[in-house]
Amino acid sequence: MLTVLLVDDDAEFTEVACTIIEFLGHEVLTAATLKEARDWLEKETFDHVLLDFMLPDGSGAHLFNELDALPKRPRVTLITGHPSVKSVIKGLCGPTVDYLVKPIQREEIEAVLSKKPKQKTPAEEKIEKHFDLLIGESPIMKELYKLISRVSKTSANVMLLGESGVGKEVVAAAIHRASESEGPYIATNCGAFSKELIGSELFGHEKGAFTGAVGRKEGVFEQAEGGTLFLDEITEMPIDMQPNLLRVLENKVVIRVGGTKTIPVNCRVVSATNRTMEEIAQSKVLREDIYFRLAVFPITIPPLRERKEDIPLLAKTFIAEFNKDNGSKFKWEDNQLDTLQAYDWPGNVRELRHFVHRAAIMSDPEKSEIELPKTIESPFAQKQSTTPALQAGRTIEDVEKELIYATLEKVNGNKTTAAEMLGISTKTLYNRLHAYGDLSKDD
Amino acid sequence: MTSEEFSRLSVYVHDARKPLNRISMQAELVKMALNGDVAPEKALVALDKIISSAKDCSHTLAEMTSELSGNVSD
Repeated sequence: MLTVLLVDDDAEFTEVACTIIEFLGHEVLTAATLKEARDWLEKETFDHVLLDFMLPDGSGAHLFNELDALPKRPRVTLITGHPSVKSVIKGLCGPTVDYLVKPIQREEIEAVLSKKPKQKTPAEEKIEKHFDLLIGESPIMKELYKLISRVSKTSANVMLLGESGVGKEVVAAAIHRASESEGPYIATNCGAFSKELIGSELFGHEKGAFTGAVGRKEGVFEQAEGGTLFLDEITEMPIDMQPNLLRVLENKVVIRVGGTKTIPVNCRVVSATNRTMEEIAQSKVLREDIYFRLAVFPITIPPLRERKEDIPLLAKTFIAEFNKDNGSKFKWEDNQLDTLQAYDWPGNVRELRHFVHRAAIMSDPEKSEIELPKTIESPFAQKQSTTPALQAGRTIEDVEKELIYATLEKVNGNKTTAAEMLGISTKTLYNRLHAYGDLSKDD
Repeated sequence: MTSEEFSRLSVYVHDARKPLNRISMQAELVKMALNGDVAPEKALVALDKIISSAKDCSHTLAEMTSELSGNVSD
């Protein structure tokens, strides 16, 4: 017997479908909107979700991330009215999704429900997920887990600092989960909104507040009532919007754009930035008063290169995820894990995950070996290798010298080609190299 | 056909598919009632719903025809 959630806004259809599904021996609950579906997903665990693509309050696809975040991800079957939606969905949700195209027949429902879940690869070693989300057993991560569980017991605002790709949003979700608060976890990206729209996103707006404000809208502060509000890329927030944010943080009330009523808000704010604390202080992207409000408890998430011992665990987890989604049976060889561990991963966990997925896609799906590309390259790695990067305080001569040597290296020391690339005569190049004392007499 | 007309047409097609889906599901229910899987009275209710859905569908199609024919220039 399965527990099924049927999400569709056509009441007559859901009623009959329920009769059929119950007759097939399953337990079924229904939801007519995304919101109702979310409510059910919080209260119950489901084996299977039958999901209409078009719902009154948005597309069924919005549920996918939430389903992914569940401890036990239900199988999903999308109900669509139009066969052409299929290909779009496939791109959007990956190949593990089934479809029912309206008009639906009983046999079709029977078929999707009785389909055996793809055979699981024998569970080898169990990799522990801290707070159901975080992977890693390095001392530096254990320290992080300690910080998360400490801060989750309080209501303090947290600022997450860390390079791009270290998993700031995952840590934010972990803090929310560990705090066992009753309210929801709401995430928004401060860098993603124009100056005009960010006020409405954060604080909401009243109907008619501005052109296009056709209805009333709750801001994220209101939505996160009693829970956690994650403000990503906080340092990208326009500086002239920051006084408004400060007022909310200090007074714990919001006023919707175009409104007059003050609405009390109560949520923990977890903010994140990929800048360092020094950068924030120097570059003045964040007002000092806001910084102290948000960073009551700053947490720095270590880059992957500082916890290389976790790379095999992460790589195994990512390949297991891939296997689950695609029914493949890929396995790492020990020497492959060594290769991965040797690399610096400037794009951090995100880069590692993409790399693993790409390698899996490029490998023969019938076999269990993963074909690694000969070199691990990323555009960010090249940027990193030319350290020290261009920075104020270096002389032109210094930079020129570096450029000349980098060019020579690129063309294997061929001075004619190097001079051409540099846009100078061969003679000038020789003169420079002489000046650096780097030419033997016979040159 | 302009893209605006096409999108209006798509709305009608979407609206017409909804009663068709209801008809299909209610018909399944009738089959189950005939098999004795559910109470026989359910079949009667289901058949009434099928008829009413058929009318809904026909209505939508009529609406579509009249709207689209309004655009035909002579």
